[in-house]
Amino acid sequence: MKQFINLLKISLNVNFGISALRYRFTKERKRLWEPVLIFLSIIVGGGSITAFYTMILQNVYMVGLVLNSPEIVIIVSLIIGQFTVFVFGIMYIISAFYFSNDINILVPLPLKPYQVLGCKFITIMINEYLILLPLLVPSIIIYGTGIKPGIAYWFKSVFIILLSPVIPLIIASVFVLILMRLVNIRKSKDLLIVIGTLFGVLLSLTVNYYTQKMPDGDPGQFVQNLVSSRIDIIEMIGEKFPHVIWSTYSLSKTGLEGFIYFGLTIIVFILAFAFLLWLGNQIFYRGLLSGQEVSSRKKRLSPEQINRKTQGASSPVTALFRREWKLFIRTPIYALNGLAGMIMVPFILLMPVFTRGEEMQDAISLIRQPQFIAHATLGSFGLILFTASVNIVACTSISREGQTFCISKMILVAPKHQVAAKLLHGMSISAIGIAVTLALVAIVLQLPLLRLLIVLILGLLGNLLLNILNLIIDVIRPKLEWNNPQEAVKQNLNGFFSILLTMVSLGCLAGLSVFLFDMGLSEWWIYIILGVIAGILSLLSLKVLFTLAEKAYKKLEI
Amino acid sequence: MVKITNLSKSYNRGAVKAVDNLNLHVKPGEIFGFLGPNGAGKTTTIKMMVGLLNPDQGSIFINDYDNQRDPIAAKRSIGYVPDSPEVYDRLTGLEYLDFMANVYEVSPDEKKKRISYFLEMFDLVDAANDLIKSYSHGMKQKIVLTGALLHNPALWIMDEPMVGLDPRSSHLLKELMREHCDRGNTVFFSTHILEVAERLCDRIGIIHKGKLIAIGTLEELRHGEHAGTLENIFLELTEQ
Ligand SMILES: Nc1ncnc2c1ncn2[C@@H]1O[C@H](COP(=O)(O)OP(=O)(O)O)[C@@H](O)[C@H]1O
Ligand SMILES: [Mg+2]
Repeated sequence: MKQFINLLKISLNVNFGISALRYRFTKERKRLWEPVLIFLSIIVGGGSITAFYTMILQNVYMVGLVLNSPEIVIIVSLIIGQFTVFVFGIMYIISAFYFSNDINILVPLPLKPYQVLGCKFITIMINEYLILLPLLVPSIIIYGTGIKPGIAYWFKSVFIILLSPVIPLIIASVFVLILMRLVNIRKSKDLLIVIGTLFGVLLSLTVNYYTQKMPDGDPGQFVQNLVSSRIDIIEMIGEKFPHVIWSTYSLSKTGLEGFIYFGLTIIVFILAFAFLLWLGNQIFYRGLLSGQEVSSRKKRLSPEQINRKTQGASSPVTALFRREWKLFIRTPIYALNGLAGMIMVPFILLMPVFTRGEEMQDAISLIRQPQFIAHATLGSFGLILFTASVNIVACTSISREGQTFCISKMILVAPKHQVAAKLLHGMSISAIGIAVTLALVAIVLQLPLLRLLIVLILGLLGNLLLNILNLIIDVIRPKLEWNNPQEAVKQNLNGFFSILLTMVSLGCLAGLSVFLFDMGLSEWWIYIILGVIAGILSLLSLKVLFTLAEKAYKKLEI
Repeated sequence: MVKITNLSKSYNRGAVKAVDNLNLHVKPGEIFGFLGPNGAGKTTTIKMMVGLLNPDQGSIFINDYDNQRDPIAAKRSIGYVPDSPEVYDRLTGLEYLDFMANVYEVSPDEKKKRISYFLEMFDLVDAANDLIKSYSHGMKQKIVLTGALLHNPALWIMDEPMVGLDPRSSHLLKELMREHCDRGNTVFFSTHILEVAERLCDRIGIIHKGKLIAIGTLEELRHGEHAGTLENIFLELTEQ
């Protein structure tokens, strides 16, 4: 037990970067505002979603009151929480159990497999609270303030909330443990990432489709109807996962009955956890160790092959451009983060057209009226500006080099050419986004060919500017220290700055267009002016980029 | 102290035979040098000894414990220093050492004494409260070395320990190895620096393409058909 606590302490410390944070605040004193900024954006972003969610729960509660079982609100939120924990849990568990860096430290130590497993499990569980608290706390408060069930309710609810991730995480862990025992996933790690991301894309498209399909009028009414017509489904889920019902009853029943359910729930959790530890002790290390081998094909290359693989001479920029693409495609994390959003976002934005065809048809025919065609053109331009720049390609292109950046420092290619290759790479990716969006705009809005051409040219110019600016961001503050490509793109604040930048430019575009319209200029002049401005700004920022790169490549150390 | 019997391990479903029917016996109280060219199978053997890889075949006894049947007891007898120092970057040096001492259940008094002894010796006192992330390669190596010694292990296993150490530290390390043996423990380390092996080791094993091709004291290796320095012997044995 002492060993377990020792291990847990370290694991929590490492996972939440407690010592690292302390070090940052006391010793380094650099960029203290960054954690604050992240924290604020989580509060703001999370807050608004939570408010919306709370409103929905409020309506669920109303239905429950009518049906004389107000605890439905708790059941619903518990079910939502369980599924969320499960979905996120699988990913967390695979990476924490099998791909984390500390495996090589922990396995040679005299620790039992169940200790390592249990400790990782608890760390993940604590991680999940971040998502789980906003899901559960509102319903607990709604029920508690509505029914006023007394002090015991609040006391028990703390435990129920804290323990609620246990069952879904155990199901996910058992699934993963057995999966890992059967297949060597390390070899198919990339495949796994691709499947996972596709699954995520599909899920978000589906959710989006259904939320768009929500009929107009009072969304509260809609939820109420939905819940009362689907009460059987809720009951069915409750039957399949009785711990949800028991958890709820331990809160909603008063007196002894409530405490009996409470005790029952806790016992079930403990037994399930014990089972996981037992299973983990049997098979965790075996799956882990059989996955340690990385495949390396040892085939002798014949001289011709070597010749072919090391292509003839080419200009440094083309060579680097090719390298950028190779690294990008061969690291699925990069490719997916770069491409998925660009292809998905236009569809999501234009989703209303598919989900509610008729109303939209009217709107679209309106847009095609002569007096609105300029707005439609500019709108499409804005759309392209957005969709083709919501990728992390340019703003992480130096960060992605990570420790290999020292190679870039050493090779005899001017930094100017190196960033030029990165810019070309970023532009070629944006071009895909532009093509997708343009095709969609052409189909949906059916703009005339000339206008499409204008949108294309403006889109290319605008994205050139944005890509240059994104590169400047990355030149100024690249994140070169990472252990895992995921960190280079996902945990990189530059992505956030890049989105911010896109938003600001969209704002400028809108303001400028309105201003030009007000001046009474004809639409053609507006296009020309916008194009010229984008062009000039691009040239200027390109100059800035080159000078900054020249400096940064000299100064940056790893 | 170490008894390896018929040990085999291959990667990629048999395509690469990294360790091939290896038999090895290390006696208590000796410094054993495990020599071989790059890719000979040294790291693979060591990883199987410490439990980081499962053997395909064969058995390994550490301190008379079978490391398959009784892994905890075997691991408790070992202090392991991997070839690249893997440490928790986000801990301070002191936190890491404290953690290691607790894992091996070193008593609090002993812990305090030994930690400050090694920090002093490796000149890490000032850095102990900094994040390991900020350490140089050599400093990391020294922290790992310390972590592996806190419980005074019966068997000290090191994979290429000299790489990345400055001359002063590698001199210290050599003395530590001697000292550790004098206290009745055993040292097992892999290297391809022949000079170190020649001067330090009681016995030497040479592995080539996964097979043990020679074993014995330097004297014994010199006899037989081979002659001259260890370098000559090594080059001759690993010629093809
Ligand atoms: N994880 C691995 N996956 C596949 N092959 C490996 C792996 N590790 C080592 N090998 C191969 O096994 C052989 C022995 O490697 P290793 O034990 O690391 O040698 P040494 O430490 O003596 O330099 C080499 O041919 C190497 O390519
Ligand atoms: Mg090695």
